[in-house]
Amino acid sequence: MTEFVTQSIRSVGGAAVGAVSTVGRAGYLAAGAVRALRKTDIWTPHLIPQMARIGVESVPIALFIAAFTGVVLALQSSYTFTDSVPVYFVGALVGKTMVLELGPVLTGLALSGRVGANIAAELGTMRVTEQVDALETLAYDPVAYLVVPRVLAGAAMFPVVVILADALGIAAGWVTSLALLDLSSEEFTKGLRLFFESFDVLFGAIKAFSFGITVTSVGCFFGFHATGGAEGVGRAATRAVVVSSMILLVLDAFWAAVLLQ
Amino acid sequence: MKEGKEFLVGVVIVAGITVALVGTLWLKGSNWGRPTVRVEVLVQDVAQLSEGNPVKFRGVSIGRVSSIAVEPSGLAVRIVLELDPEVILPASAAVVLGPESLFGSWQVDIVQPEFYPGFPFMDVPAGEVERGVRVLGGYALPELSRLTASAEQISANLAELSARFEVAFSQETADHLARAITNLSDVSEQIRDLVAQQAEIAGSVTARADSALTQIEAASRVARRSFERIEGILTDAQMDSIVINVRLASGNIERIAGGLANSSDDLTRTLARADTAFARIDRITAGIEAGEGSLGRLFADSTLAVRAEGALGQLDLLLQDLRENPRRYIRLSVF
Amino acid sequence: MSIDFHDVHKSFGSKEILKGFTLSVRDGETLSIIGQSGVGKSVALKHIVGLLRPDRGEIWMDGENVGRQSEETLYALRRQVGYVFQFAALFDSMTIADNVAMGLRRMGEMDEEAIAARVAECLAMVELDGYGRRYPAELSGGQKKRAGVARAIAARPKYILYDEPTTGLDPVTTTIIDELVIRTSEELGVTGVVVTHDMTSAYRISDRIAMLYEGRIRFVGSPEEVRACADPVVKGFIEGRPDLMERVT
Repeated sequence: MTEFVTQSIRSVGGAAVGAVSTVGRAGYLAAGAVRALRKTDIWTPHLIPQMARIGVESVPIALFIAAFTGVVLALQSSYTFTDSVPVYFVGALVGKTMVLELGPVLTGLALSGRVGANIAAELGTMRVTEQVDALETLAYDPVAYLVVPRVLAGAAMFPVVVILADALGIAAGWVTSLALLDLSSEEFTKGLRLFFESFDVLFGAIKAFSFGITVTSVGCFFGFHATGGAEGVGRAATRAVVVSSMILLVLDAFWAAVLLQ
Repeated sequence: MKEGKEFLVGVVIVAGITVALVGTLWLKGSNWGRPTVRVEVLVQDVAQLSEGNPVKFRGVSIGRVSSIAVEPSGLAVRIVLELDPEVILPASAAVVLGPESLFGSWQVDIVQPEFYPGFPFMDVPAGEVERGVRVLGGYALPELSRLTASAEQISANLAELSARFEVAFSQETADHLARAITNLSDVSEQIRDLVAQQAEIAGSVTARADSALTQIEAASRVARRSFERIEGILTDAQMDSIVINVRLASGNIERIAGGLANSSDDLTRTLARADTAFARIDRITAGIEAGEGSLGRLFADSTLAVRAEGALGQLDLLLQDLRENPRRYIRLSVF
Repeated sequence: MSIDFHDVHKSFGSKEILKGFTLSVRDGETLSIIGQSGVGKSVALKHIVGLLRPDRGEIWMDGENVGRQSEETLYALRRQVGYVFQFAALFDSMTIADNVAMGLRRMGEMDEEAIAARVAECLAMVELDGYGRRYPAELSGGQKKRAGVARAIAARPKYILYDEPTTGLDPVTTTIIDELVIRTSEELGVTGVVVTHDMTSAYRISDRIAMLYEGRIRFVGSPEEVRACADPVVKGFIEGRPDLMERVT
């Protein structure tokens, strides 16, 4: 019994120490990344290729998700709205939900899988095969060489990808409303415009920007601290996805609380 | 390879920015640099109007609200409208701000103030006109909460009114109506008796004519009173019996007319006039009947009462003529 | 000018790896550090370039205390050192030529033409002429190691550190690598530190051999001295006789 208690207390303590050390290492990496921003000569050549990998190559999956989200939103909103709600509210709901919430969040979650896992696996492999050390011995700051271009590319490209996804999602909802629901184009656009604020687009972009930084830096963090061969790399990739998805959802709530007051 | 990547990244970024800008402008209803004419509106209060809301003129959307700002004086709000330059506004124009639908969004409606005498449009100071920009006075309709308050007051008034209505349409008044119509049929039977006597005793006609006419006159007064009551008071419950009585009465009147015609051919022309009068009464009753005793029908069609009045007027004329020129009728029948 | 370890301590968690490691590397020599796997040979090597920092003690290189350097001077010091990793640690996403050119490009002192020439020279030295356009995945283990050596020598360092250069290679390839180490030392005049547990190779390439045992240097001497060493630990290790070593501990 006593043993169980001491064991439990010890494991709580261990978890706390682990959490603190993880936060500490993350902070250390973040500080390193900020310092490494100065080393433009190291990271600039890699910025464009990373933007292509993280941003451009993510466009198809983001658009795929957005298209089906738009379709479902239109169908579900028309199903939910009974006769008392005007039919053009389908447009309002599709537009508002897509731009404010589902566009950024679904894209962010999908990319935390695609981009975050990819980065964690790549950097993890480089770590366990000593390529990261090799960079250091060749006088390349690995943070500047690996982390900075990825995080910057994520920050720059996520908003772009999300805006494209928003647009396609709305378009898909529109087409659905015309094809499957008894809505006219005029009604849909009327609803779309009814509650539209320019700020909504900015809000979505701000969220996407923060998601981009989160997904890439969490991927970098777990990749950078991978240990123990292939298994360690796999663990790093999994953790990167789980942790970045969680942070992303917390950030989602945070932005809603801060910016939608 | 590298150039290709740069190009792709560039394409995606440019596409994203274009979509964001174009989409925002489109959804905000910008008019893509089409020429617009600027019109300003001064108003006490904008209620829920916001930038980008539509401007309508005779129900047609002709522009948008481009800005809203409180005047430096703090006494008014200045709304700037961007309008289609091809629309020519009337010389006297004012603006009503009101909800476009029940669901939030508002609109600016350009109206002619003479059609809305009850609206306190804001007066445009004389100095405004000289700036070269047209400035209109505006008025924001009360918001929904205020409207609800008014509606509550109105419904309270209505409740009181209908309570009074109930009182007016008591059982007693309905009984009066029924009795009056019974009287009408009595009277018409008397008229028939009179005509029968005329036919039998031709010689004494002249002497009796006066009293007969007096009787008809009295009858018509009764009838008139009855119709006035019909005009004022009708209840659902009593309608069917009333209608039956009226039909009975008018049937009697028709029979009188038939009797008169038989007694003297020369009466025909005059009686034709009476006939139309009776036909009208008949039509009124038919009309009431078609309303199936509902008050709604009567409220909806106030001409019923007017028509009843017209019919009585005609009957009156006939009686007047009979009294003034009794010989025209009697002589012809006697000689 | 040389590399000096002075009383270096290093632990990972509760595990003490180096417990007062002291060793001097003389200029121009090739020194092998031998010892059992997991004894901390690679850890010691990584301290030289500041990949690891000591918990206690000092590492001096060219009169600079490596463990106390700011990031910037550390990167400057690293330019003096070529590091050959155990599994080559070539960058998978780059061609062999780009891998070799990495350090040169970082220095920013040569134009692309000069870099290409130097890369070709280095690849020729490790007998990988014509492999410049290949990717690491297309190379065998021995070729990768040689490419790693080419990358380490490209910037003409004063020191080359080899982390188990012959581990996992067949005897023929091992000989080729050993000859490459010797040639690099002779032709370029560099100081070499080789971490290995392959005694054949150590005897062949070393001017001196240091035996690491339980976090400290147990013995340092020329190959002949090592062979003649009576210390049961050293003897047990070089002869592959754990029974001798156990008697001591």
